[in-house]
Amino acid sequence: MKPKTWCLAFLLTALGLVLALAAFNYATDPFGAFGDRFLQWFSYDETNNPRVAKTTWLEQHHDAYDSYILGCSSTSSLPVEAFNELFDARFYNLFHYGADMKDCEEIARHLLANYEVKNLVLNVYIDNGVTYDDDANPLTHGLHYRVDEDLSAPAYYARYLLADPRYGLAKLRARAEDTLLPQAFDVFDAATGVYDKTARDAEPIGSLESYLEAYPVFADYPRTGPFGLYQTERCMESVAAIREMCEAAGVNLVVVAGPVYGEYLAQNFAPEDVAAFYEALARVTPFWDFSCSSVSYEPRYFYDATHFRNNVGEMIAARIGGDESVWMPEDFGTYVTAENAAAHFAEVLAAEPAAVPTAQVPILMYHNLAEEADGEATMSVAAFEAQIRALSEAGYTAVSLRELEDYVYRGADLPEKPVVITFDDGYLSNYTLAYPILQKYQMKATIFVIGVSVGKDTYKDTGNPMTPHFSYEQAAEMVASGLISIQSHTYDMHQWPPSEDGDGPFRETILPLPGETEADYVAALTTDFTRSRESLEAATGQSVDALAFPSGAYNTLAQATLTSLGVRVTLSTNPGVNTVVRGLPQTLYGMLRFGMQESISPSEMLTLLSGNR
Amino acid sequence: MREQVIAILTELCPGVDFERETALIDDGLVDSLDIVSIVTELMDAFDVEINVEDLLPENFNSVDAIVGLIERAQG
Amino acid sequence: MAFTSWSFVALAAGTVLLYYWTPGRWQWLLLLAASVVFYAAGGWGSLCWLAGVIAVTWLAGLALGRLNEARRALPKGDKAALAAVKRKKKAAAAAAALLCFGLLYAMKYWDFTVDLLPASLGGRLPRWDFVMPLGLSFFTFQAVGYVIDVYRDKYAPQKNPARYALFVSFFPQMVQGPIGRYDALAPQLLAARKLDWKDLQFGIQLALWGYLKKMVIADRAAVLVDAVITENTPYGGAVIAFAMVFYCIQLYCDFSGGIDITRGVARMLGIELAVNFRRPLFATSLTDYWRRWHITLGQWMRDYLFYPLSLSKPFARLGKWARKRIGGLPGKIFATSLATFVVYLVIGIWHGANFRYIAFGLWNGTVITASLLLERRFLAWRTALRIDQASVPWRVFMTARTSLLVFLGRYLTRAPRLLTALSLLWTTVSAPRLGQLADGTLLTLGLTAGDLWVVALGALAVTVLEFFQERGVQVRESLSRRSGPLQWLALAAMLAVLAALGIFRAGYISSEFIYGQF
Repeated sequence: MKPKTWCLAFLLTALGLVLALAAFNYATDPFGAFGDRFLQWFSYDETNNPRVAKTTWLEQHHDAYDSYILGCSSTSSLPVEAFNELFDARFYNLFHYGADMKDCEEIARHLLANYEVKNLVLNVYIDNGVTYDDDANPLTHGLHYRVDEDLSAPAYYARYLLADPRYGLAKLRARAEDTLLPQAFDVFDAATGVYDKTARDAEPIGSLESYLEAYPVFADYPRTGPFGLYQTERCMESVAAIREMCEAAGVNLVVVAGPVYGEYLAQNFAPEDVAAFYEALARVTPFWDFSCSSVSYEPRYFYDATHFRNNVGEMIAARIGGDESVWMPEDFGTYVTAENAAAHFAEVLAAEPAAVPTAQVPILMYHNLAEEADGEATMSVAAFEAQIRALSEAGYTAVSLRELEDYVYRGADLPEKPVVITFDDGYLSNYTLAYPILQKYQMKATIFVIGVSVGKDTYKDTGNPMTPHFSYEQAAEMVASGLISIQSHTYDMHQWPPSEDGDGPFRETILPLPGETEADYVAALTTDFTRSRESLEAATGQSVDALAFPSGAYNTLAQATLTSLGVRVTLSTNPGVNTVVRGLPQTLYGMLRFGMQESISPSEMLTLLSGNR
Repeated sequence: MREQVIAILTELCPGVDFERETALIDDGLVDSLDIVSIVTELMDAFDVEINVEDLLPENFNSVDAIVGLIERAQG
Repeated sequence: MAFTSWSFVALAAGTVLLYYWTPGRWQWLLLLAASVVFYAAGGWGSLCWLAGVIAVTWLAGLALGRLNEARRALPKGDKAALAAVKRKKKAAAAAAALLCFGLLYAMKYWDFTVDLLPASLGGRLPRWDFVMPLGLSFFTFQAVGYVIDVYRDKYAPQKNPARYALFVSFFPQMVQGPIGRYDALAPQLLAARKLDWKDLQFGIQLALWGYLKKMVIADRAAVLVDAVITENTPYGGAVIAFAMVFYCIQLYCDFSGGIDITRGVARMLGIELAVNFRRPLFATSLTDYWRRWHITLGQWMRDYLFYPLSLSKPFARLGKWARKRIGGLPGKIFATSLATFVVYLVIGIWHGANFRYIAFGLWNGTVITASLLLERRFLAWRTALRIDQASVPWRVFMTARTSLLVFLGRYLTRAPRLLTALSLLWTTVSAPRLGQLADGTLLTLGLTAGDLWVVALGALAVTVLEFFQERGVQVRESLSRRSGPLQWLALAAMLAVLAALGIFRAGYISSEFIYGQF
């Protein structure tokens, strides 16, 4: 090969490789820089670089929105749906992890210049006073060139076309491992822009001890600072710029100072600095302050060391909207102006944190009753009555699940010693034997029925005999008494293989079948529960929003699916006393129940309920 | 003079055939340390002054070149 | 502008392309313009420092040139006038050197000096918080070398300041050398050139090889090194030693790779830069190692520090004293050996303002000086043991011994502090915990098993190639004699390896050239 030929061969080969790289990056588009034409997987792209991918998303979908939420990662928990209702608008949560106020200003300018904007919600976090315009990896933290005035289009295209191909390969690999629930590589919900917290929001919460065990960061809070709020001035200049832009464009600007975890503040900042930061904000714009309240001192309101929960975001929306049907702590949310700022922060920073109200609620689980006990499955009426009497004499008040919901969601009160009595499966004996006793002691109870076996005494396929179940009419009669609530134990996901027909596999519990795809499973569960709910609601006229998991088995996807179907209470068969926390719906998920048996004496039962094992 | 130079060289850098080599520096047989040792020894033996500017490879590549350097230094 | 950035590739490619389109007499101006672009990309502040060094040394060169003329015009025998001219020359050269080294000192060593002083005094002195200009140590040495050469009347000074500026600032060598000599470099930079495809081919190949070494091997090895070599490292001695082996691979591939890129880009422009590495892995002694590693620095030190120092009056007096008092051969070479020690100490300090670099200089100086003074004894032993100097086992033994000495010295340059270096060395010996090499610990240090293999095979490839070079094979020449498809295959393989395994990404913070900070 002559040197000249060699040089040309080099040029062509190198050019070919560069083009191949660019084509690969364009096709896989792991940062959503080119519109992700082929994969359209924005939850992944936004995880890699929310700044770029969300801008691209809006280019394609801006018609669906007319209002935007801006801020750093804790802003994710400002719920789009609640804000839509509050402002009668269509919100998109445009938060970016690690966003500083410069990012927010540039994005706000971009939005106002290019799209129709009615409302802008801006969350100012304490960290915005610490960092401003920091150096960061441009690939993962850089803005879109249409947003960043200092970035030229050629530099932007060079950056993403010539990016490391491993990003694209990783995206293809992740594609094969994608699940309905979020994983580390797709933490965003594309349509709303928020972090997809489906899995975390489906996770049952109980006592503080168990939460600290699951999230030890709160038990031994890391001291990462101390931080100086040296960027306060530049941050506020950007807030002022955003305010002026909104005024000029006639856009409704709502500034929020989101909840900061108490220990994060205490460990890393001087209180006078914190006060100075928020007072500086108040001089620029009035805002809703949620930064320090009793919420800040309850770890169960936080996903992790710094991010408050979506439930807290719901409270924020309710507070701004004056919606009093949603419970929140008394001290949560103050409208701060330049006039009241100094006094307000002097007060909240000195306040002793108030504990969030919680209730200890034991739940009893019964099945079948008979005149005589029969093994573990069937309890004698006498033993049952003895237990109910003991409850009554010990001062327990049986409550319905609805009362628990009201406690959590609306802040209603519970009796001093609440207990929940439940029956699984819907046996006829519940009607014939238990119901009269419950009436006698005026104890409320909840019965979870399997839809397919209502009113039956034989198995549907084989005709094998089974323990008789009460009918829809009997159910309606009990509900009408006001004592009994009929809820779901699935329609037909509690099968018993020896007496079921067909080749299987059988749904013995709510868990997915081996090899079942997630989509098929969610569809099956949805169909089953909907059928169960519709038939029960039609028979009793009472709404169904609670489900006891057959055999107590469940997983995160099941809980998340049921939540999305409007189920507010789910029950497991794990023993224990429940800690129900106001404002935390997750304390009603996977609730603990004591399985009651003939052998448990009334006094033993009372010991269990008191929580002292 | 030539014999005296060879004697000095052989003592400081044993194992090199100074009679025949004409590229002592270029071939790496004599390094900078040797050069300085040789120069200080030559200055002592012939009572001449050799400057840093004279420390060039061409002045040390062969015995003849070294002899020439000394003669020039003697004026 | 890092060599691994797209902007450097664009600048180099653009310069090469335009260079051969530019009429011959303007070509050098294009190189100067590219150099200004390169340096300005690092900030205008550092461009000022560069301009300052250029101005001082150019003016000194002019003055010395005039004095050389004056000296030649003197009538023979006018000793007084000659002495006066010599005095003036000394003053001019010394002033230039002082200014340049003063700047270097202020930039690089001032804060270190302040820290050394007692707090009561040091606290009152101002600190220097300028960012050190890129390649300051390199171009300062190159410019001062020019001044000394003119002082020695080796050549006439450059009258045109722009041409001179190009000599000091030629952009490929700004980051980490090689330190060029005016008489070898300037004529090439200023010449008019026609395109020689072979220069282009060999230049591209050299640069490509440099990129492979740097991006595939060095940047990868660095990940593990950075994970292990820290204050209070939790790892045992074996893992530390493993990481130090990786550091030696990283340092050599990074530095020599960078030099290959530099020389490759220059070669594409038809310019042959000084060789800076000659296969140091095959060195047979620490002295030999320093003749093969960073050669242009060693030569600079030899010509401008070692020679004048060892021929200076104090050293001559010391030599006389040693001859009398010590006697024999050791007496004769005592002064020279001491000068050698000083040179290695200075080389150590040149690397940076830190005790560990001083210790590094002391280590090299001590070992080399001791071996000089004991050389005869070793030779006698070798003869007594009847070891054949030319035998392969002896050669392997010498190389292994040298590698060990270099390896130990590298603890000093890599550890964050001198005390850490010593504690790492101590851990290596006292608590090796060999089990950590096999229990999967190595896979927790940021590299996958595949990455470890890439580093190992890469280092092996470099070694094998250099082994053939050591035996006199001209790799690129012999490759160019192969068949066309084979040549293309080699080319495509290199590019493919670089694309697939090179650690390159826009946001990836490449461990900046380690020598760029020296």
